[in-house]
Amino acid sequence: MSYFDNKVPPKREDRLSAVIAHQDSICGLARKGKGGKSCLIDDGERGFTQGTICLLLPALAMLNSLPDNVVLLHSALGCGSCTHSQNANVRMGSNARRGKAQDGIWLSTALDETDVISGGEDKLERAIIEADRRYRPASITIVAGCVPGIIGDDIDGVAQRLQPQVSAKLLPVHCEGFKTKIWATAYDAVYHTIGRNLLEEKGVTEHTPQDELEVLREQERLARTVNLMNVSSMGRVDEQELERLLVSLGLEVNVFPVFAHPDSFVKATRAALSISTCPTHDDYFLGYLEERFNVPSIIKHMPIGIENTSLWLRDVAARFGFEEQAERLIAAEEAELKEALEEFRPLFHGKKVFVSAGEFRALATARLLQEIGLEVVGIRSFHHDHFAEVEYEKLAREAKTDYVVDIANVQPFEEANLLNRLKPDLFLGHANGNMTASKLGIPTHVIYNTGLAYIGYRGVYELARRLHRQLSNPAYNRNLAENLRLPYSDAWYQAEPFSYLNTRGRSVNE
Amino acid sequence: MSENFVERARYLCSLGGAAATVTALPGGIPILHSASGCAGNFAWTQNGGSGLQVGGYCGGLTVPSSNVQETEVVFGGEDRLREQITSTLKVIDGGLYVVLTGCVPEVIGDDIFAVVNDFREEGVPIIGAVTGGFRGDSYWGYDLVLQALVKDYLDKGLAKVKGRVNLWGVVPYMDPFWRGNLEGARHLLELLGLEVNSFFTPADTLEGIREAGAAELNIVLSDLYGQGAAALFQEKHGTPFVTTSLPIGVSASETFLRQVGAALELDPELVQNVIAREKRHYYQILEPLTDCYIDLDLQRYAVVVGDANYAVALTRFLADDLGWLPVLTVVTDRIHENGQPALAARVEQLASGFSTNLVFESDASQVLGHLNQVWPRAAGQKYYNAFSPAFVVGSSLEREFALQIGAPHLSVSFPVANRAVLDRGYTGFRGGLRLAEDVFGQIVANR
Repeated sequence: MSYFDNKVPPKREDRLSAVIAHQDSICGLARKGKGGKSCLIDDGERGFTQGTICLLLPALAMLNSLPDNVVLLHSALGCGSCTHSQNANVRMGSNARRGKAQDGIWLSTALDETDVISGGEDKLERAIIEADRRYRPASITIVAGCVPGIIGDDIDGVAQRLQPQVSAKLLPVHCEGFKTKIWATAYDAVYHTIGRNLLEEKGVTEHTPQDELEVLREQERLARTVNLMNVSSMGRVDEQELERLLVSLGLEVNVFPVFAHPDSFVKATRAALSISTCPTHDDYFLGYLEERFNVPSIIKHMPIGIENTSLWLRDVAARFGFEEQAERLIAAEEAELKEALEEFRPLFHGKKVFVSAGEFRALATARLLQEIGLEVVGIRSFHHDHFAEVEYEKLAREAKTDYVVDIANVQPFEEANLLNRLKPDLFLGHANGNMTASKLGIPTHVIYNTGLAYIGYRGVYELARRLHRQLSNPAYNRNLAENLRLPYSDAWYQAEPFSYLNTRGRSVNE
Repeated sequence: MSENFVERARYLCSLGGAAATVTALPGGIPILHSASGCAGNFAWTQNGGSGLQVGGYCGGLTVPSSNVQETEVVFGGEDRLREQITSTLKVIDGGLYVVLTGCVPEVIGDDIFAVVNDFREEGVPIIGAVTGGFRGDSYWGYDLVLQALVKDYLDKGLAKVKGRVNLWGVVPYMDPFWRGNLEGARHLLELLGLEVNSFFTPADTLEGIREAGAAELNIVLSDLYGQGAAALFQEKHGTPFVTTSLPIGVSASETFLRQVGAALELDPELVQNVIAREKRHYYQILEPLTDCYIDLDLQRYAVVVGDANYAVALTRFLADDLGWLPVLTVVTDRIHENGQPALAARVEQLASGFSTNLVFESDASQVLGHLNQVWPRAAGQKYYNAFSPAFVVGSSLEREFALQIGAPHLSVSFPVANRAVLDRGYTGFRGGLRLAEDVFGQIVANR
C-alpha cells in the first residue's frame, strides 16, 4: 500500500529517521555515511530549546503561491499569520511570472474557546461554502493546524462530504505542528494532497489527433519534457538559470509545483523525467510519481556551487544520452565562471565562514563557499537524514581541518556559543536566522531569499558578488556588536556549546 | 464581514501579541509554553507586517520555548515547562521572565501557574499569562500581558504620587509605529509637567513599571486595547483611568491635552498655554505648504482602513486637520457589537462637520464593495460626480484596492509590508506633521 492511500502522510522521523538534535563533525558524519550507518543516528532532546517554525510555514509558502487557490486555515486565529511575509514572495513571484503583483488569499476559521469544546467541523463546512462562493477559486486548500489535531476534527471527512456541493477542488493538508519535529514534513504534506487529488486526468483531455505527424510531435515533445521541482526555495531568477541550462541540452521544462495552476498539475504525470533540486524537498513525491505514473526521477545533487551544478547537469544529460553536449556546456560554463570569480578571490582568501540552513541548502552552500576560496569552519543544519551523506563526503574531502556540524532546528543559543568560539569572518544563515551573527558583529548574508540568485553557475557568481559586497563594508554589523548584546548569559558562553544535548542526543550507534 | 472565517487576518493570535509585548518590555523575556512553530510564525509575521521590525533583545527565533510534542500532549507538559524555565534562567539574562501559553498546552490542561509559582517562591522574577491562540487576537494578548503585570508584578499598596501617570493602548509591533506613537503621546503629557510611565519606550525601566501602582491616573489611548488591564488596575491598585483616542495631529492632540488636564484637575491656564504654544509651532511649520496644497489641488476624497485605534484617529486627522473628505472608514478588528458604538462616536461629530461612513469589516477583498455602496459607481452618464481625486490610508493589503480605484495609498495600519519604520510616529502635534508629509509625499511621488 502506498503512503498516498492514507489520509495523513507519515512524519519524517518515522519515514526517514530524520533527526534534529545531534552534535558531530563533518569528517565524523562522512565516516558514518560511508559505513552506511548515518541513518542510525539517534535523535536527541535538548533541555533548553528556543522557538522555531513548524511544518505549517513551509507548507504555506508553497500553497500561497498557487494561482487561483484560496488557503483556508483550520486552526486558531494566529496560525498562518506568517503569510504576511510570505505574501511578499507571492507578489514578487507572480509579477516575475505573470507580469502582475498579486496578493495571496488566505483565510482562517479562527477556532475559539467554544469550538475547542464543541468541535470545529461545522464551522469549517460553512467556511468552505462561503469561500467557494466569494472567491470562486480553482481550489481551496484546507490546512489543519494544531487545534483540530487535538480536538479531533476530520478535515478529510469534511472535504469529502462537501466536495459535491462546491465548484473548487478541495485539498486537505495536514500541518498539525506538534505532531512532527521535522518541518520538512511540510513538503510531504503538500505533495500528499497534490498526489491524492490533482494528478488524475479529469474530463475529456484526450483530443483526437489531427494527423499522425501531430501525434508524433507531441510524443517527441513529451519525451524531452522534464519536471523541475521547486517547493519555493528558488525564486524565478534561479528557475531561469536552470531552465537555461536544461533548454541548452534540448529539454523542455515544466516547473512544478510553486506558482503552477492547480489545473495544470496533471502535466507532471506526463513528463519524461522529474528532476529534484533538493532531496530534502522532493523524495516523497518523486517516489509516488515513479510508482504511480512511471515518471522516473533524479534526486541527488543540489545545483548550488560549481561542482554540484555540473554533477546535477551530468545526471540529467545521462538520462537522455546527451553526455557529450553536457560536457561541452559544462566545460564552457565552468571556464567562464572561474575566470569571472578571480576578481573576488583575493578578498575571500583565508576567510572563515559558518553556514546555517536547512539540511541540503547548508551543505551545498558550504561546498560552494569552499569553491570560491573561503574556509568552512562550522555548519548548523536544521535536520539530518541519509540523503545528506553524499554532501558530507564532498565537504569532508575538501576540508582543511575537521569542523563542527550542529544538527539543530535553529536553536541560536548553540550558534551564539559556537560563533563566539570559532570567530568566523562570515556567516550565512536562513531568513530570520541571521540576527545572532549580526549582533556578534560577523558579516552576514542570507542563504535563501527568492528575490536573489543562488542556483546554478549564475548563482555562484551572484552569491560571490554579494559576499564580496558584504565583506567590503561590514560596518552595520560591527556597529551592532559594539552597541548591543545578545540575551545570553556569560555563564552560557563559557559552557560547552552542546551542554543541553542530553546523553541520548550525544550517543551514536556506530 | 464573514461569520465563518477571517480573511488575511490583520493580527496574530493572543500568544503572538503577548510574546511581542513581553519582548518590548525592558529586559522582558518571553518563555513560550507552546508548540515549536509558534515563535517562527510570529517572527515571519512581524517581518511582513510590522514595518520591517522583527524581535528585539529577546524576540524572533531567540525566544525560549518548550516546543511541546506529541509526548507532552499524551503525558502533560508541566515537567517540560519546569525544565525549560530552569534552563532558561541559566542561559538567558533577563529582568522579567513571562511564561505564555499556546493552544496545545491549554487544550491538554497544563497548569502553568503551579510551575511558575514554585519559581516565584524562590524569588525568581517570573510571571505567567494564559494566552492560548484560540482566546483571541494579538491585541487581546497585549491586554493579557498587562493584566498579568498588574496582578502579579506591580508593587501593591503604594501611595499615589501627584503628577504621575501610566500610558498604554499602543500595541508593540501590532502598531508598526508603536515606538514613535508612544513617544509622541508621552511628549504631550510631559508638556503638561507629568511624569509618564509608558512601559515600552527606551526611557522606561522595570523599576518604574514595578511602581506603576503609584500613578494617579492611567491613560489608555485606545477604546479597545488595554481596557481590560485598565479596569483590573483600578480594582487592584485603585488608580482610575481615562480612555482617549490615539491623538494624531493638531485637533486630536488639543482634545487629548484638555481631556487629561480635566481628569487630573490641572490648571486650565497651564493646559491652554501649552496648547497655544504647540499650535503656534504647528501652523508655523505648516504655513509654507499652503501654496502647493492649493496650487496642486491636494485635497482628496479618502478611504481609511485600519485597526480600532487607527481607523477613527486617521479619519479625524484627514477631516479635521487636512480638510479632506474621508467618506468611508473601515475598522478591521472583529469587534463585538457592544464595543462598536464607542468607536462610532469617535467620528460622529468631527469638528470639521464632515462625516464618514463607518463599517466594521476585517476582509480586505470586501472594501471595494463597501465603497460602492457609499459612492455609487458610474452608470454611463455624461456627467458623473466621481470618487476622484482619492487617497487610501490603510495597510499594505489595501494596495490592490487603491489600484482598483486609481488612488495613491499609504500603509499605516498592520500589516505594513512596504515601509521601513523605526521610531516614526504620528501622535502629537509633530506626528500630524509627519503624517501630512507622508500622505502628500505619496501624492507627489512621481512629480
